Amino acid sequence: MHKLLARQLGKAAKASGEVDLPTLLELVSAAYEQSDNDRRRTDRSISLMIGELDQLNRGLERLVEERTAALREGKAELRAQNLRFDAALSNMSQALLMFDSAARLVICNQRYIEMYGLSPELVRPGRTVRELLDARAKSGTFSDDPDRYIERLQTAIAQGKRLSFLSELPDGRTIAISIQPTADSGWVATHEDITERRQAEQQIAYMARHDSLTDLPNRMQFREQLARALAGVSRGERLAVLCLDLDSFKSVNDTLGHLVGDELLKAVANRLRACVRESDTAARVGGDEFAVVQTGIDTATDTATLARRICESLRAPYDLLGQTVVVDASIGIAIAPDDGTEPTELLKNADMALYGAKAHGRGTYRFFEPGMDARMKARRTLELALRAALANGEFELYYQPLVDLQTDAVTTCEALLRWQHPERGMVGPAEFIPVAEEIGLIVPLGEWVLKRACADAALWRDDVKVAVNLSPIQVMSKNLVAVVVGALASSGLPAHRLEIEITESVLLQNTELTLATLHRLRELGVKISMDDFGTGYSSLSYLRSFPFDKIKIDRCFISGLGDGDDARAIVQAIAGLARNLGIMTTAEGVETEQQLEQVRFLGCTEMQGYLFSPPRRVEDIRRLLRPRVVKRALIA
Amino acid sequence: MRVNQLSWSEAASWTAVPADRRNADLVFLFGGRPALACGTRYHELRAMFPDAHILGCSTGGQIRNDDVTDEEIAAAAIAFDATRLRLACQPAPSPESSHSCGDAIGRALAAPDLAGIFVLSDGLNVNGSELVAGITGAVGDRVSVTGGLAGDGAEFRETLVSADFAPRKQMVAAVGFYGSAVRIGHGSAGGWDEFGPRRQITRSRGNVLFELDGGPALDLYERYLGDDAKGLPGSALLFPLRIFNCQRPDHDIVRTVLAVDHEARSMTFAGDVPEGWTAQLMRGNFDRLAAGAAKAARQAAEGIGQDRTGDQLAILVSCIGRRLLMGQHTLDELEAAGAEIGSQVPRLGFYSYGEISPHRASGVCELHNQTMTVTTIAEAVG
Repeated sequence: MHKLLARQLGKAAKASGEVDLPTLLELVSAAYEQSDNDRRRTDRSISLMIGELDQLNRGLERLVEERTAALREGKAELRAQNLRFDAALSNMSQALLMFDSAARLVICNQRYIEMYGLSPELVRPGRTVRELLDARAKSGTFSDDPDRYIERLQTAIAQGKRLSFLSELPDGRTIAISIQPTADSGWVATHEDITERRQAEQQIAYMARHDSLTDLPNRMQFREQLARALAGVSRGERLAVLCLDLDSFKSVNDTLGHLVGDELLKAVANRLRACVRESDTAARVGGDEFAVVQTGIDTATDTATLARRICESLRAPYDLLGQTVVVDASIGIAIAPDDGTEPTELLKNADMALYGAKAHGRGTYRFFEPGMDARMKARRTLELALRAALANGEFELYYQPLVDLQTDAVTTCEALLRWQHPERGMVGPAEFIPVAEEIGLIVPLGEWVLKRACADAALWRDDVKVAVNLSPIQVMSKNLVAVVVGALASSGLPAHRLEIEITESVLLQNTELTLATLHRLRELGVKISMDDFGTGYSSLSYLRSFPFDKIKIDRCFISGLGDGDDARAIVQAIAGLARNLGIMTTAEGVETEQQLEQVRFLGCTEMQGYLFSPPRRVEDIRRLLRPRVVKRALIA
Repeated sequence: MRVNQLSWSEAASWTAVPADRRNADLVFLFGGRPALACGTRYHELRAMFPDAHILGCSTGGQIRNDDVTDEEIAAAAIAFDATRLRLACQPAPSPESSHSCGDAIGRALAAPDLAGIFVLSDGLNVNGSELVAGITGAVGDRVSVTGGLAGDGAEFRETLVSADFAPRKQMVAAVGFYGSAVRIGHGSAGGWDEFGPRRQITRSRGNVLFELDGGPALDLYERYLGDDAKGLPGSALLFPLRIFNCQRPDHDIVRTVLAVDHEARSMTFAGDVPEGWTAQLMRGNFDRLAAGAAKAARQAAEGIGQDRTGDQLAILVSCIGRRLLMGQHTLDELEAAGAEIGSQVPRLGFYSYGEISPHRASGVCELHNQTMTVTTIAEAVG
């Protein structure tokens, strides 16, 4: 019997033990009703719950769909991100590697494989750092001890420290390596080939201390070397500072152009380098200024020897871009500790000695002497005055006649430059011409002389020529022909009445250009004379290189005629040679009747000298050139 | 300790009245509101047990051993050998005063040798959670607090409490057990099954629930109850509400409905329903509810210990909701509990509007709903 029914029967039992049927039926009916209610409630609640859960489920499905779509989108974005990341990685100039905490490769870019020439199959994720190092060792791009390398790396990673170092590869490359620990105990390594950057840095450092044209140390390094060398002086040693510059370098630059000027500086540098010992320092300290520190000298003689060697070496002709150039160098010398122990002081004193050398004449050297300072000041004063002189009209031309030895007639007057200094009075050309050449005044001054001489001569008898001296610098200047043409045109002087006198030094340099210029002048009708023949490098070959109209035999041979047979033989030889070549000869510096007789006897065609006339002002010459006056002068 | 059960019925008046009544220290009294309201039954008992404290309340059915009755009054007289008692009572005019009410009772009973408290409270004007919190706040966590909220059948109109005075509404009363001899065991279990989706308590204030998942809570209940909605608030007990803080899902509490407000679409529960907590409907299955009752009885029987002498008493406080659902099957849970406690142990109790017992997980005394709560009392006298 069901437990509930038994209970119901119990409840419906009367005291007599009989069952009260209406009570029992009521209980049973109530139980059925409750059961129905319970079932209905259960059904209802379950169906409601199912509805709710279904709705929830649909909501969840929608959510899942949305999330899935978002995830898909996220994945696509991630893929795009990865592509960008890959592109960035493979286009990096550095090699990049990432390792996990077990020192295994996680990611690596192509650059790494290329940098060390490794096989791509070998450089795969999962490789240990040790395996990569072994592979590099095999490819010849790693020569350190791999154990020590890894130990160093792991120590840094354990400490969470960034590690940066340079690796010099056996093939000469320099690689900058940077190790950055990551949060997961791995690390990211970047390798950058900095070979070129390092070379460039070294180059820049080198350039900062060297002259780019000549590759000699520059002023900065020179001063450093000098300061270093002076440390030895404090220990009792001596050293010399030599300052040198090229005489008339400016003219070479102006006339032949900067290319030739640069070539000249390079050539000078090479010769200078060859002159000094390895322990000495030769430097280019300015445009055409060079300097030398000579260490460990015993006496000034050691330095004088070096200075002479340098002068001689630099004086030899240069063949530059097809042009022959001759320059002289002047050298000033200061000795430490005698002339100073500080770089600035020594350089200043050497510079002063250099001015002294220049004032003394070119191609020579001078030691610093106390008192040079004053002389240098004087020289500077001269320079300043010279620059002003042309504008101030302080120059004047004197003329000295040349006389035909057959007819006794004046054939030519040589123009001679005088400087009427407002304070010092008359200054001779020997004093100021070198300075004018030095400071670049010779070209405008020469132009003035040409114009003035042509203008003066145009007023003379038309059988008298005017002779004008040209300095080598003038001859090399490209516009000489134009200047001559201009002077002739403006004065109206016929070209054949102009005689150009050049010294043999003109032919020493840049022969081709010089000869071309001379030929042009000759084509115009201008006469060309070889001045001061027999001095310096004089060579008969010059007479063959150009068809001179006249040779002027240097006064030293004329004055020597009385002393013996040598001068006489030379004069006779020159005159004979010239006669055979159809060239006139002028004996310069004839001062006595005896000399006159001799040169006439030896075959010269003309004479010039005090015997006939000193250089005269233009007014005096004009008077002299009147026929009667000539005669009287001759008689006198 | 000696226990004598007695009962009253309209037909038979008091039966099984013990002869030795002067030694009784405490008389428990449980009856329907109509039977208790006149006060006659209380005065009769007062006359029978002049030296005993009388503690009782109105119910949703009286439990006497394996049976449940609505018409009869169930009582038990207890004579202690070594245990002292103290009775305390407080008026409970409104749910807002519940905490201070509990606090006053706790302070009235507090003593170093206080071993346990059995509390009976008005079942409609009380926030049971606050009441229990007030008591435990005053006496401390180590004192077990058990008991229940008085009932009014399925009426939910008025509940009465009697404590050395005739049954009265809006009262809370408690008896404290003192001394080292008394042994008190307790157990509490539901046996309800969770069903349907979990819902968020989106609006509530204290023990008043307004919204679940953003919709009126009453709508949900009416939808689920269908025709049964006519029986609200009582019929809401068919679907108890399990609530928990989602941070501590194992510390869940079952709440029972005391009232509904059709206008505000709100429901008032016997304890707090905190906003932000999770709620889930529950439904009962007779067998599992009975198994729950057995579990509560087992816990209480085990909790009392072995060193007892004399009689023991089991007080069963079970939720009215269980009875409403189970109907004639209600006896299943009483039989199941009796089997665990032992048929020789007298069992007395009532169907309530709320049960008070330490929580099975935390041990903290709390208000429960929809549970069977069992308190066992005995003495160990040496």
